[in-house]
Amino acid sequence: MSKLKIELTINGKKRKVETTTSTRLLDLIRDDLHLTGTKEGCGKGECGACTVIMNGELIASCLVLAPQADGAVIATIEGIGGGGHLDPIQEAFIETGAVQCGFCTPGMILAAKKLLEENPHPDEEEIKRGISGNLCRCTGYQKIFDAIKLAANRLSKKDGGRGEKDA
Amino acid sequence: MHQRTVPCQYFAPQKIEEALEILSRYGKELKVIAGGTDLLIQYYDRLYEINNWLDLKNIKELKDIRINKNQIEIGAMVSHAQLEKSEDIKKYFPILSQAATDIGSPQIRNRGTIGGNIVNASPAGDLLAPLMAYDAQFRLFSIQGEKIVPAEEFFIGPKKTILEPAQLLTQIILPLPSERTYGSWIKIGKRKALIIATITLALVVEMAEDNKTIKDVRTCLGSVAPTPIEIKEMKKKMAGKNFNQLDFAELGQIVEDKISPIDDIRGTREYRKDVAKEIMINALEEIDSACRGCINE
Repeated sequence: MSKLKIELTINGKKRKVETTTSTRLLDLIRDDLHLTGTKEGCGKGECGACTVIMNGELIASCLVLAPQADGAVIATIEGIGGGGHLDPIQEAFIETGAVQCGFCTPGMILAAKKLLEENPHPDEEEIKRGISGNLCRCTGYQKIFDAIKLAANRLSKKDGGRGEKDA
Repeated sequence: MHQRTVPCQYFAPQKIEEALEILSRYGKELKVIAGGTDLLIQYYDRLYEINNWLDLKNIKELKDIRINKNQIEIGAMVSHAQLEKSEDIKKYFPILSQAATDIGSPQIRNRGTIGGNIVNASPAGDLLAPLMAYDAQFRLFSIQGEKIVPAEEFFIGPKKTILEPAQLLTQIILPLPSERTYGSWIKIGKRKALIIATITLALVVEMAEDNKTIKDVRTCLGSVAPTPIEIKEMKKKMAGKNFNQLDFAELGQIVEDKISPIDDIRGTREYRKDVAKEIMINALEEIDSACRGCINE
């Protein structure tokens, strides 16, 4: 078994990890770094359960080889919020009941986070497009849309309520 | 997960020359990886079989979109998301922009690349029909030098291309179209996101200076044959005419007659033929009304 060393920044911490060329980033995150908030659903990039943010982009960690992530900056669900506080998106998911079995939730929240970073006031069509790579088999999505709208409103108020839409 | 016995190597060079050198040394014993969104699915259960990888992620010049005189050059490592966001692509090649927007999901568009879509050569590859419709050429490099090949000569069968093991696709070259060029892109699939197309149509029509006479036509389809194809008959039928002289139903029928789709899980042969005719009519109507809009302005 031949190993190679890679270095990546995960949730703000630099980590050196020994890995192999047949290890997926998903396996590295779960098995080597023990960050099990990132889930494996389909393993084919279709369900979004393994979503993480890599170099500022939403990606499916099951479709990235560990060495492809050498030098990358990665945020997983464990890296948002912080200091004992939940991210406003996490709070909104809880309040609206957008979490049922919870398996899609980490990926869904990261997708929502990227969406709101790029578009702080998405309409429902834009929300649908933003989370189109994430499947939920419990909620029927309505509560997830509600959570993202609630989070968008709160985040924009924090920003001083600039240009609030659909409020 | 898997036990490996042979040592493996992972190359991620920063220069094209280094990549070409590695390619010439390993040839078939090497897998070239771009975004990996298609490749890793194909090798999902047997990643351990691949001993040598060539990752193109560090080669910066493969990530550029640049206008060079009367053409645009798109680096092979440009992602679908980059294509989607590029103002130049939107302006000059709107249906390529739309096709990139229709690919997969945000996660897939951020990783998947135009070069990967081309080299993977799936008959259903979303960018392939638009690229053919815009007269794309591909720049293939090896240590022997470069070769420029038109898109229609590149694809030779499902997942088969003329790319040799020691060659690398580096750029996609598209001639800048005239201002009077109109396009229509239609993708049919069972859902909006993450779907492999049942059928795609890229229709590009260039009008003469009067904006009424059709000068040139490219009608390209995906998922209806072993490779993306152009229906050349369309140009003969349409060039030199005005839109009001065309019988859209007849033109749709020609498309239906000229394609050779198969039955598969994404649709039957019969369904694809019916739909091909209808989407051709829709695309003609769309371009017709876009032309009228411009004349009235």
